[in-house]
Amino acid sequence: MTDCGCEKAQKDLEEYLRNEVCTTMRSDIEEHLAHCTGCQDEVHVARTLTEAVARACVEYAPEELREQVLATIRTANPAAV
Amino acid sequence: MIATLERPVHLTGVSSAGSALAVDWRVMNDQADALVDARSQFEEQAIPYMDQLYAAAMRMTRNPADASDLVQETFVKAFASWKTFTQGTNLKAWLYRILTNTYINTYRKKQREPYQGTIDDLEDWQLGGAESTTAASTRSAEAEAIDRMPASVVKDALQAIPEDFRLAVYLADVEGFAYQEIADIMKTPIGTVMSRLHRGRRMLRDLLADYARERGIDTAATVKSAGSKSTRSAK
Repeated sequence: MTDCGCEKAQKDLEEYLRNEVCTTMRSDIEEHLAHCTGCQDEVHVARTLTEAVARACVEYAPEELREQVLATIRTANPAAV
Repeated sequence: MIATLERPVHLTGVSSAGSALAVDWRVMNDQADALVDARSQFEEQAIPYMDQLYAAAMRMTRNPADASDLVQETFVKAFASWKTFTQGTNLKAWLYRILTNTYINTYRKKQREPYQGTIDDLEDWQLGGAESTTAASTRSAEAEAIDRMPASVVKDALQAIPEDFRLAVYLADVEGFAYQEIADIMKTPIGTVMSRLHRGRRMLRDLLADYARERGIDTAATVKSAGSKSTRSAK
């Protein structure tokens, strides 16, 4: 394992946090994060942003919509379409 | 009144009983049985995604009436092509593909938004989302400010970024889709997904930092303009 440095770590941070393929080895980013408080903070900001967005976007479908959809499904014939 | 219509069990139970009496009846009702099966399967598997699809539709259309219409249309289309869905594959992604298609093909046109298709070609500096080089000490302040941000402010910020970026951020951050799934849903190459996601999140961060600054909360992204503007206190 080698520390990849701040530049690479921050460039690939999103991919790293989402377990996506990235150009820098995961172990190298981990190694870097273990020692760099600046990049740890960056991780913290990234995660906080994701959580804030997820939290803000929670919605519940109106009951009328649910009933309307179910009523449509129950009269529709998929074979006929 | 809708919750307990005739159950499919009733019909399939009879047809699979195998009694001599049931044979003719079953032949005649094969199609009806299949329909009832499809319907109950759809209700059981697809309908539970309604809240999620509605939330996504709200971020797309920006108002409850259009969001409801979009979800209704999505489910109608999904049910119409239910037989093309392969059981065991990702139903949520399948439904999102239909939702996104329906939105792009009908609602986006209806809303007559300025065409944003070329926005991917713009440079970061043109979008005002240049990477800000921020001092480490202020990043934890930024995280704290984001964490305390009211949901309405986060939603407004999301609404303010270009649609394709917003959708990428939504699909990744709210729905947790993988890049490849987002690429399939948005019908774009994976590299485009990555760039929209990065830049969308960068813009979001900047907008939230602007809001925080207006409220007198010092965060990372406020550093770049700290010299020019005096921070005013919110309360």
